[in-house]
Amino acid sequence: MTDVQDKIPTPVQQASGGVAATLFRFQSVFGLIAVFVAAIIFSPRKNGEILFISADNLANVVRAVSEIGIIAVGMTFVILIGGIDLSVGAVLGLAAVGSAVLMVENDWGFLPSVLLVLAIGLVFGALQGVATAMIGIQSFIVTLAGLQIARGLARIWSGGQGVAISYGDGPKEAPSSFAILGERTFGGLVPIPVLIFSGVAIAAVVFLRISAFSRHLYAVGGNEKAARLSGVPVVRVKIAVFAICGLLASLAGIVHAVQLNQGSPNDGIGYELDAIAAVVIGGTSLMGGRGSVAGTVAGALLLGVLNNILALNNIDSNIQLLIKGLVIVAAAALQRLRPAS
Amino acid sequence: MRSLRISLAATAVTALVLAGCGTTSERTSGASPEASKSCKGADGKYTIGMSQANVAEPYRQRMDDDIRAAAKEVPQFDVKFADAAQDNAKQVADVENYITQQIDLLIISPNEAKPLTAVVKKAYDKGIPVIVLDRKVEGDAYTGFIGGDNVQIGSEAGKYVAEKLLPSGGNVVELKGLAGATPQAERHQGFMDAIKANPKIKVIADASGDWLREKGQAQMDALLKANPKIDVVYAHNDPMAEGAYLAAKAVGREKEMKFIGIDALPIPSGGIKAVEQGRLSATFTYPTNGKEAIAAAKKILVDCGTVERSQILPTRLIDASNAAKIYAEENPTG
Repeated sequence: MTDVQDKIPTPVQQASGGVAATLFRFQSVFGLIAVFVAAIIFSPRKNGEILFISADNLANVVRAVSEIGIIAVGMTFVILIGGIDLSVGAVLGLAAVGSAVLMVENDWGFLPSVLLVLAIGLVFGALQGVATAMIGIQSFIVTLAGLQIARGLARIWSGGQGVAISYGDGPKEAPSSFAILGERTFGGLVPIPVLIFSGVAIAAVVFLRISAFSRHLYAVGGNEKAARLSGVPVVRVKIAVFAICGLLASLAGIVHAVQLNQGSPNDGIGYELDAIAAVVIGGTSLMGGRGSVAGTVAGALLLGVLNNILALNNIDSNIQLLIKGLVIVAAAALQRLRPAS
Repeated sequence: MRSLRISLAATAVTALVLAGCGTTSERTSGASPEASKSCKGADGKYTIGMSQANVAEPYRQRMDDDIRAAAKEVPQFDVKFADAAQDNAKQVADVENYITQQIDLLIISPNEAKPLTAVVKKAYDKGIPVIVLDRKVEGDAYTGFIGGDNVQIGSEAGKYVAEKLLPSGGNVVELKGLAGATPQAERHQGFMDAIKANPKIKVIADASGDWLREKGQAQMDALLKANPKIDVVYAHNDPMAEGAYLAAKAVGREKEMKFIGIDALPIPSGGIKAVEQGRLSATFTYPTNGKEAIAAAKKILVDCGTVERSQILPTRLIDASNAAKIYAEENPTG
């Protein structure tokens, strides 16, 4: 079985298609550079200082991107196998509520709360994977249902309202160690959410480079039937992918709760669309089989920089929506031009 | 060198790390700003940042419009607007962007208290005066709060029902706002306390319309079927009251009962017009405070004065007798 599998091209082989292919492969990185340079040019200045590249502002940009970025990494895996996960925003809300309720109302410790919340995300995702891989329902439908279910669970768990998190050692207080995740910075330099996002992104890139799972992933996304015939464990791959996506969504939910000192059942509404946008701008094909985590990270940062520079210039929020929409269309249009590998 | 730095910074992961490493998040807590520090008097130019929770709600659109209109009268003011679209995380980023822009004063109508408290404090600690509108933040790291009193508004509505609409008693149906929202709880509480004065009034049913016209209509459809005798419909806002009116009209029962709402927005689709046109018996103003916010900003920045820590604006009863007059007052340009 393995020698058949070995004939499936690796992502590295797929990418080696000349200069043009490389350009397209890294379109989001070049896009990010372009937007970054444009942001510097169009940045408002105060007393000769370019506000956009001030350290505080760049930290704000990457911190604001972290949650969507973490979700988008998981979303990349799902889209690589030709699926979609619409439930991530609701799972984020469920995880945010879960962290708050467990630590504040149930007085759980830091580690057990976080582990349980992560496990919930993992199992939730895995169940969605089971429904799409074993029962054969389209992932769009499965996760649309998952969105409703997670949102409903979040509302039930929280009693329908936001659960405020305050820190301390007393009853009805979250342990102070939890606050470190959101507020403080590592060594006074890097905001923790950014560290978590970087860690997730690097782990995902490395994972895709070294594991056989990566080959299975691209194979399932490229041609599911062919993959199955070549002995790729399609069902297991799909369940694993949705489980990873659910796990990362709930990790983002924990980060979300701690950054806002609250877990609300309405957190994360529409985040799935931002994550999909980051993946698409990152050059991952919605048809599956083609794309990269690095592209997604660049896509998420591009959206973050764009959001930031539009806000710094006080562009009307409706115009902001318009511009972001056009960027997504442009990214998708570029992909159509990309030569087949 | 510069271009090298830019290209480095722009590559995906590098940008992440670079930006992260550049962080110098200083935290100067405790130092509360004196109003005079930001005051450059009448000759100064001031940039004001307005952070709105969600412009998609007509009430909040009107709040922005009121601020815009009032600021036009102050030549020194330049007001920027940001819309958080009901997302706490987005509103935090909006305020952080204002801090980056080094605005002279922040006006914020928070989406929710707890998630916005820290960033409002951050702005305040950096010496930016902060005026909080409509919904509060926690703690005391702000310059002034301006808002309405929802308990009092509910109570006025209850009094109106007890004394004017149903002096000899009757059946009331209550259409509530979104569950878990503070105004919903307060508008309910004030109302219930006030109708106690007339023990012959009974609230026979209630339902949640989530502040929405269509939801109010759907809920009323069911309530009408279940309750043969309804005398008053008390809705927590005007859109739900209008929805209830439409439901009653659809089954020909709109003349049997009175409808009252809350908010009284002076816009064509708002409650004042609905009263003027006879669909609602009454509505109660919930002031947007936009005008008052700019007045407070002027006091702080231009007059170098101080403002009240908490300014609660009274509600007004709008009924057939004053609707047209008040609508005209609120829209002087037509």
